Amino acid sequence: MKRFLLAVAAASSLGLPAFAQQIPVVEKQLPNGFKLLLVERHEEPRIAGGWVAHVGSANERPGITGIAHLFEHMMFKGTPTLGTKDAKRDLELIAQQEVVRDKMRAEESLMRAALRRGDVDDITKPEARTERYKTLEIEFKKLVDEQRSLLVKNEFDRIYTTAGASKMNAFTTEDMTGYFIEVPSNKLELWCWMESERLFHPVFREFYAERDVVFEERRMRTEVPPTGRAEEQFNAMFWDAHPYHWPVIGWPSDIPAITKKQADEFYALFYQPQNITLILVGDFKAADAEDLATRYFGRIPQGEQPAPEVGTLEIASSGEKRYNAEAETNPQLEVLWHTVAAGHRDSYALEVLDQLLNGRTGRLYKGLVLGRQIATDAGAGLQNRKWAGLFAVSAEAKEGKSLDEVEAALYAELDRITKEPIPPEELQKVKNQFAAAEYRRLTSTFGILYRLIHAEGVGGWREINEAGPKIQAVTVEDVQRVAAKYLVKENRAVARFTRKPGTGSTTDDSELAGLSAEQKPIARNISTSVKQEKDPKQLKELLARVEAQAAQGDPKRQQFAKFIRGAVQRRLAELEPKK
Amino acid sequence: MKRLAAFLALGLLAARPLAAEIPDRPEKLKFEKLVYNPPRPADHRVQLKSGPIAYIVPDRTLPLVSVTVLVRAGAWLDPKGHEGIADFAGYLLVRGGIKSKSADELDERLAFLAAGLTSAVGEESGSVALNLLSKDLPEGLALLREALTEPRFQQDKLDLYRQQALQALQQRNDDSSSIHAREVESLAYGTNFWAARQLTGASIDSITVDDLRAFHKKWFHPANFTVAVSGDVDRDAMVARLEDLFANWPFAGEKPGPIPTDTQMAQPGVYIVNKDVNQGRVSLLLPGIKRDDPDYLAARVMNDVLGGGGFTSRIMNRVRSDEGLAYGASSGFGGGTTFARPFSAGFETKSRTVAYASRIVLDEIQRITGAAVTDEELNTTKRSFVDTFPENFSTKGRVAGLFANDEFTGRFAKDPEFWQKYRDRVEAIDKAEVQRVAKKYLHPDKAVIVVVGQRDEILKGHPDHPVKLEELVDGKVAELPMRDPVTLEPLPDAPPKP
Repeated sequence: MKRFLLAVAAASSLGLPAFAQQIPVVEKQLPNGFKLLLVERHEEPRIAGGWVAHVGSANERPGITGIAHLFEHMMFKGTPTLGTKDAKRDLELIAQQEVVRDKMRAEESLMRAALRRGDVDDITKPEARTERYKTLEIEFKKLVDEQRSLLVKNEFDRIYTTAGASKMNAFTTEDMTGYFIEVPSNKLELWCWMESERLFHPVFREFYAERDVVFEERRMRTEVPPTGRAEEQFNAMFWDAHPYHWPVIGWPSDIPAITKKQADEFYALFYQPQNITLILVGDFKAADAEDLATRYFGRIPQGEQPAPEVGTLEIASSGEKRYNAEAETNPQLEVLWHTVAAGHRDSYALEVLDQLLNGRTGRLYKGLVLGRQIATDAGAGLQNRKWAGLFAVSAEAKEGKSLDEVEAALYAELDRITKEPIPPEELQKVKNQFAAAEYRRLTSTFGILYRLIHAEGVGGWREINEAGPKIQAVTVEDVQRVAAKYLVKENRAVARFTRKPGTGSTTDDSELAGLSAEQKPIARNISTSVKQEKDPKQLKELLARVEAQAAQGDPKRQQFAKFIRGAVQRRLAELEPKK
Repeated sequence: MKRLAAFLALGLLAARPLAAEIPDRPEKLKFEKLVYNPPRPADHRVQLKSGPIAYIVPDRTLPLVSVTVLVRAGAWLDPKGHEGIADFAGYLLVRGGIKSKSADELDERLAFLAAGLTSAVGEESGSVALNLLSKDLPEGLALLREALTEPRFQQDKLDLYRQQALQALQQRNDDSSSIHAREVESLAYGTNFWAARQLTGASIDSITVDDLRAFHKKWFHPANFTVAVSGDVDRDAMVARLEDLFANWPFAGEKPGPIPTDTQMAQPGVYIVNKDVNQGRVSLLLPGIKRDDPDYLAARVMNDVLGGGGFTSRIMNRVRSDEGLAYGASSGFGGGTTFARPFSAGFETKSRTVAYASRIVLDEIQRITGAAVTDEELNTTKRSFVDTFPENFSTKGRVAGLFANDEFTGRFAKDPEFWQKYRDRVEAIDKAEVQRVAKKYLHPDKAVIVVVGQRDEILKGHPDHPVKLEELVDGKVAELPMRDPVTLEPLPDAPPKP
């Protein structure tokens, strides 16, 4: 049963061996360009199958931002034989829909012109539509209704579900588009049939309804969450030249403008066999899987040209960037530095640095939350992406503490890394965590698939086995060197989020901070009744009583009075506005 | 050698049919039969002399061990006005330090061992979980014993957790999803029901170290424990270790009474909270049933067709695929182990189409009560339930957790063959049964609809879809006040009723 190789690299002086736990991947190359990765695991009768297309939002250009992700949605819409009762008529209807859509696009152009002139203020509102646009919408809807009568709704999904599949989904990042599912172990051929079929000849039906779905997804992920829009803007500010500048989901004006023709071109360019890696993990024999995959995926012709790579490099920053946002959130701070791409020789020391800073025993939590007691949370994050990387630290300020204090403390902790010795036990602790994680990642079949998709998507699957020993070899000097090299002022962007006025509790908890545990609940209750009191006279009487008590000299009571005074004065200002 | 090579090549050809043989439809593929026998609880169940029942599922493939102690304690024990004691005691049991180590010393040691030791108390149960490399098991179990018997509950850690909790309360109105979740609980259960009671600044402020100590001494006792162990252990050796872990408990403890079940759903109608976000968040609630109700499995099958089955379900097909109105649209038949959790259907859509999408969902609920589901729909659901069955046991950790949980919730005592019979019970459900439970439980005219979003835009509706929010249930739209996120008192300047 011990199917995994256990290679003891070096025994440390601190008790835990620095082990490297290999994932036994069999790599094959299909003649038409597909790469095939196979990992046998026989613990349960399931197979996790997936594939990664080496294309993400970084491969887009202005005007079609979001297309990689929209395309991911379209890959579930079926094939000529899956999803419709009448393939011929279905394709005719799609063509007719495009004719109407071209006319609608001409109207959209007019609507944008009206927006530029100031004739309308928001072209997404139904009231902003031109009369001709409304007529065309009705015409378009007729074609959709006819097509719908021929559709076999979500047949791609239904076939898999009826076959006992689960977890079917996909994701898009800046670097990759990953598709995955889990099937019973007797359904390997079904997986080959379904996945090769949709890669071979996908049909992008229901394109425009799906575009609306994606816009709802944008609202849900970016526009509704309290800091979503600000984070999107901060990201755009951090990346100047590199296409990581725009969001994966796409700019709000680009999503509704993407055309089916653009999707077709995108498919032809990026979904060729030589740009895709197929991955299977689970209960099968590698030789059988290779045979089946060759037979099914081998029928897809190789693309004529390789997919273009992202050549634009981020420009070297010549000054610190600062971003101030008001949002519905507690005051918090985020700092980003430009670092290196995945697989870069410095990436391993940065991983170790990240782990030294992170977690409840990491430098940031200990320094800011436990030691200085100026934050409620603090942590670090490292993103080694395919084309470039970033290092992040963030913290939420404790009530009553300023973001200036928090920011200064973050930098002080980073200074300690470069200027003071790092104890060997601390480095060993971090390495122990990496070593144990090598085992933990092996506990789930699906988890292994996910890791392979991701590693392959940012550079190559071999990294999952090669990174471990490289991390164990990192020295204190390596960590100090990369911290000093990358985490410098001119290389960073700083975002400060402060609470938007009028949101959050009307009880000012920064004032509550000076009160004792017994006083706080009383203060809150008084504050609530103060806010509901309509009679200024009552309020003034309350204030007089509290001031009288405070005058007796007890500092705790004075603190309490200060709080009540603030609450009463705010309420009086509401009740008795100056003019 | 040449002849051998030629022979091998022929062999390969025979094993690989030509591309032309790939069928045009997946139904034409033939699959070997897959026989799967689930693990049996009895093979792993151990009655410890020290009190608890334990499930031990060895897995020697990796040098990792996981030990979880389930604890009969939960938020239902919080006295009114002191909400948060269970949560605080649960978190600080480990994070507040233990007899031989301060909280910080314990964290450092665990981090060095790359071990996890966490504790939490939720609504209906608590858990203390240890996960580590098997070489460290003796030390890990000693730490676990100290956490269970002699937690320190350091004052400074209580103060820190209180501050973190208060600042989390500050954020309760920032995301519309948290406002929505809070109002759904109030409307589904009634504000007096324990599970709908919320933490407030005052309830958090009231919590003292003595409260935590009292909570611990009352409930953290082997008589209230059920244990799950998986990983790199020998069964007999582990039994001996567990006996040591729970032997000679230093205090007596109590057994908690039954969990109250007196929920009270709000009157049918639409309830709206005004919040300035460009997407409305909607739930449609109806009274549900408990997990051990005889109708529960049929209700789940029915719900899978209606809205639980993702892209094969009706609500998803109509709201998302047809109309492009939402990213996610689904329904769930809650179940609930001690009290009935509601049926709930939900989605998020732009303000102007909230009423229209709600209408579609109500229509789908009506439709499934009025006509039988199709053979194809029922078959899809049944095959999905039956053929994904092995996933329940996909890792040894899941097996141990599942069985321990069944023991803890009483399902094992009541229905010991639950997993053995599960697939046959699913297969036995027919279309008439599906329609019967739909009719019995789904009454769209009784729906409680909870909406959070831009009130005025939502009430405007959409010119292409002439349906109004007011028309959905009984002509009623009630506006709920925005509440202060810390005190939960209604904010005084709540906007006027629409």
